[in-house]
Amino acid sequence: MLPLGDDVRGQMIAHAREQFPKECCGLLAGVGGKPVKVIRATNSEDSEFRYRVDDRELLRFLQDCDDNGWDFLAVYHSHTRSEAYPSPTDVRLAGNWPDPYYVLVSLVDQDDPVVRAFRITDGEISEVPTGDEASA
Amino acid sequence: MVARKSEMLGRNEMPVTVYIPTPFRKLAGNQTHVKTAGETVGEVLDTLGAQFPALRQMIYDENGQIPGHINIYVNNQEIHSLQGKETPVKDGDEMAVIPAIAGGQVGALTPEQVERYSRHIIMPQVGPSGQRKLMEAKVLIIGAGGLGGPAALYLALAGVGTIGIVDFDTVDLSNLQRQVLHQNADVGKRKTVSAKETINAYNPDVDVVLHETPLTSDNAMEIIPQYDIIVNGADNFTTRYLVNDAAYFAGKTLVDASILLFDGQATVFVPGQGCYRCLFPAPPPPGMVPSCAEAGVLGALTGVMGSIQATEVIKQILGIGQSLVSRLLIVDALGMEFRVVKLRRDPKCPLCGDNPTVTELIDYEGFCGAPFPGEHVVGAQS
Repeated sequence: MLPLGDDVRGQMIAHAREQFPKECCGLLAGVGGKPVKVIRATNSEDSEFRYRVDDRELLRFLQDCDDNGWDFLAVYHSHTRSEAYPSPTDVRLAGNWPDPYYVLVSLVDQDDPVVRAFRITDGEISEVPTGDEASA
Repeated sequence: MVARKSEMLGRNEMPVTVYIPTPFRKLAGNQTHVKTAGETVGEVLDTLGAQFPALRQMIYDENGQIPGHINIYVNNQEIHSLQGKETPVKDGDEMAVIPAIAGGQVGALTPEQVERYSRHIIMPQVGPSGQRKLMEAKVLIIGAGGLGGPAALYLALAGVGTIGIVDFDTVDLSNLQRQVLHQNADVGKRKTVSAKETINAYNPDVDVVLHETPLTSDNAMEIIPQYDIIVNGADNFTTRYLVNDAAYFAGKTLVDASILLFDGQATVFVPGQGCYRCLFPAPPPPGMVPSCAEAGVLGALTGVMGSIQATEVIKQILGIGQSLVSRLLIVDALGMEFRVVKLRRDPKCPLCGDNPTVTELIDYEGFCGAPFPGEHVVGAQS
């Protein structure tokens, strides 16, 4: 369970729309399993097809988590041409970070963005509820 | 525990703190920071790896190199911007070993691909995303001859991911005056095989798919739908009408060119915006238009026209520029004049007109009064 809530969901969708047609990416800091902060990251791939959280921003985020007592709760990124589901590339590269949730924002239907959350462990994808599927 | 490890370190080595991110902590005794030592980044990592062998496997690949997705920082500076593994460290420095967070909808360009295609990628009309489009594209070349050769070569150099080649012929000495896919040692070899060898010698990334058969009404609708764009390098009217009709039925863009003597023509047919039959409703009577074998052809001009076809294919894949759709480019090599005439879809076209009478592939040998080229070539190699 990754409770996103309208505010977090809205911030991620807004970020995805601003970066369209390129992929956006960012990080969610949490406390007790709930998101407390949405941190937009620079997509250092600057691409319509790829994302990579800017390495220095990632380091700073990890330090901020330690300093503030946050957990590294989730990574989010957008898919502009495919559904809100991890791609084979997403799964392959998630092996380095198995603990955070992976949140996908799909803008295939620009008027009706879809947000879904997953765990990616040992190459296996399992969807996790976000607590507000009704408004998805 | 940390103190005990410090005592194990040599007296002359400098204690350095390494920040361990969450994914690696269970590999490092659940520590957030590990005190270790060394005079360079490489030495610190070696010491760390000796302490925690499982962590070493994450930091180094099987060749002992730090993989691209692992970033090493010294006092928040990534070591690539310093001196890499030779970066000196001193007492009190803080290092961090951070795996990148990345993903995406399609595969990444490797560093070698970025370098290979750099002259394309730096152009904003191409860029990394355009390069990926090229790498995902599938292009079929009809005929590994005078036109198909340069077209295939430049598409391969551009990194087009899949290139299909339809040809049934073998390399003849008389081909070598213009057919750049084949060399002296290839005489007698199947053209498809020779083409694949040449293409992959230029760019091993290209998946070259061989269709070693004459294109006929029986196989055209099996082969053509597998590709995104069709390049017509056919040398005879029978195949040319077949390719036109099959590409139309399959909904594929056809990049067409033809050549004879010192003259060349090129155009692009997009289904619904005109086709070869709009331009030439009926083939000439058999024997009226000589073939290249009968009349000759300027070898260098095949390179010009084949390269124009490759250019049009690349523009189509990237979605840039103004294509030759609805235009016919006429090249006069002797006068060295390039002229463009407008084409339009003919509402009376039997294929793509308002009331089509050709609704499936027909008997093209009967229609053109000439058989498909087989072992005895009727049309010349273009």
